[in-house]
Amino acid sequence: MSEKLQIALPSKGRLMEQAVGVLADAGLNVRKTGNERGYHGEIEGVEKADVLFVSASEIAWYLKTGKAHLGITGADLVQERMTDWKARVELLKPLGFGFADVVVAVPDCWLDVRTIAHLDELAGSFRNAHGRWFRVATKYVNLARQFFVGHGFNDYRIVESLGATEGTPAAGTADLIVDITTTGSTLKGNGLRILDDGVILKSQANLYASNVSEWTPHIREAQNVIMSKLGV
Amino acid sequence: MVAETAREFEALEEQARKLLSVFVAAGHEAVAPAVLQPADVYLDVIGEALRARCYVFTDPDGDEFCLRPDLTVPLCRLHLERHPDGAQKAKYCYNGSAFRFQPQGADPSHPREFRQCGIESIGAAEREKADAHTLALILKGLEVAGLKEWKLRIGDLGLLRALLSAIEMPQRWRERLGHQLWRPKAFREELERLTNPPQQRASSVPEELLEGIDPDKPDEAERKVAKYLDDHGIEMQGVRTLGEISRNVARIAADRRAERLPLETANLIEGYIGVKAPARAAGARVKDLIRDAGIDIAPALEAYHKRLQLLSEHGVDVSRAEFSAEFGRSLEYYTGFVFEVQVPDLGEGSPVAGGGRYDGMMKICGAPVEVPAVGGAIHTERLLKAVRG
Repeated sequence: MSEKLQIALPSKGRLMEQAVGVLADAGLNVRKTGNERGYHGEIEGVEKADVLFVSASEIAWYLKTGKAHLGITGADLVQERMTDWKARVELLKPLGFGFADVVVAVPDCWLDVRTIAHLDELAGSFRNAHGRWFRVATKYVNLARQFFVGHGFNDYRIVESLGATEGTPAAGTADLIVDITTTGSTLKGNGLRILDDGVILKSQANLYASNVSEWTPHIREAQNVIMSKLGV
Repeated sequence: MVAETAREFEALEEQARKLLSVFVAAGHEAVAPAVLQPADVYLDVIGEALRARCYVFTDPDGDEFCLRPDLTVPLCRLHLERHPDGAQKAKYCYNGSAFRFQPQGADPSHPREFRQCGIESIGAAEREKADAHTLALILKGLEVAGLKEWKLRIGDLGLLRALLSAIEMPQRWRERLGHQLWRPKAFREELERLTNPPQQRASSVPEELLEGIDPDKPDEAERKVAKYLDDHGIEMQGVRTLGEISRNVARIAADRRAERLPLETANLIEGYIGVKAPARAAGARVKDLIRDAGIDIAPALEAYHKRLQLLSEHGVDVSRAEFSAEFGRSLEYYTGFVFEVQVPDLGEGSPVAGGGRYDGMMKICGAPVEVPAVGGAIHTERLLKAVRG
């Protein structure tokens, strides 16, 4: 590892713009180095820091393995990718963008299902009628499992879904979903409804520090500069 | 203690040979079921929680397998391969590895990989006889292996099930409590909920819908649910039919109108669950408990006493057994008698052997009907440690 602080930022889209924007507002101007399409950058005035542009989901992995000292990414991704996230990273500052909820949603026509307890009650008769447990489509396999365990709901099967999760109940590949939503309109448009107690996580973009990367005095110094500008 | 050195391996092998010879002499055929098992069956019994406890993985074809967490399911599958109707009587024994993920990290008492040596009796219709035979034979094996100090914990889920069917309450409540039988915490919450006044049981199912539904008129309920969906522009989707949804809405409506579960009844059930006593005295305790409530579970109590009697006849010192009504309720597949052999040195969390009756398992594994089955397994690393002292 180089002797510089590695900070991982989202590499594209609105998340990148907003992350760079938040830093700029704090007087930390991020610049790409080398090729404009490249994945490296620097922060003006903080010489001891390297910026790594990485896809938002991979930032969690960079923090988990210590490849990055600092990173900006969504709480949903951090908590999904690290079952022991509280030990591996420290949440330094919520950044006020990238708001989204991870929720449990069922077909709106299930008038009789409003809570996780209803799902649990229904599991046996659903299985008798259809010869299988409920199928839950999600890319948040770990978050879903932990949440359901906490609610004592165990009679379901996860179907991993990497895109268009909200369409799976209509397509018949799943019965309900665990997915991310910002306004709820996509869910609504697909005839789905969030359960009354179905909010698993209220997520937003956060600044995290990795507890497992190598923190030399040089690197700490660079972190302190960034932190004081951000007012942490 | 895992057999990491050749010497430990030999010691475990020698112990296993002793155990197996006891089991084979008692008429159990030695078999070696597959280590690698399709995850489906386990996921069906244990649910998604399996993934948090076991090594589950996807093979290159995309099929899910797991390293067997015990040998009971593999044995049921082996039996079914030989006898597709499942009901054929058979007695098996085995010795082999089992694997568990240890979320707190592995230690010598809770290894990731360990060996189980055990027996199973499938298809024996005389349940108490097969229960007693199983426990007596496991104890005999332990004794032959050199274990001297032990105590026994037993339970009987048949008693709780009998109690729930004998108590007067709407069938759907009984089903709901039955569904939570293996989850003590959820069971208690459900019990508490049923004793609340109906208003407090209400859910957020639309009031205007529930009000108009007469639980005794299913056709009308279905029409009203259809109309509600129509009026609110909600389209049907998914595999659940209008009939299924409206039947459940009707249940919820019925629930709202039903009287609460009397507090005395809830206390009776709680009282039973709290029973913990020496095995012989426990039967009388349960009998006293229910007598005042005018409830009759004589057949289940008789089965309990008969089993103890048969154990005594097998030479098992029943005075070393403690009954706990709560015991067995965290293991989803046990349906009746359960037991655990503890050794003072290893502590309560690390029994050297355990087992019980699992009458539902063969059907889950694919048998056309339910097949009586009972078995027990010895944790061989723990046994070796206990014997060495």
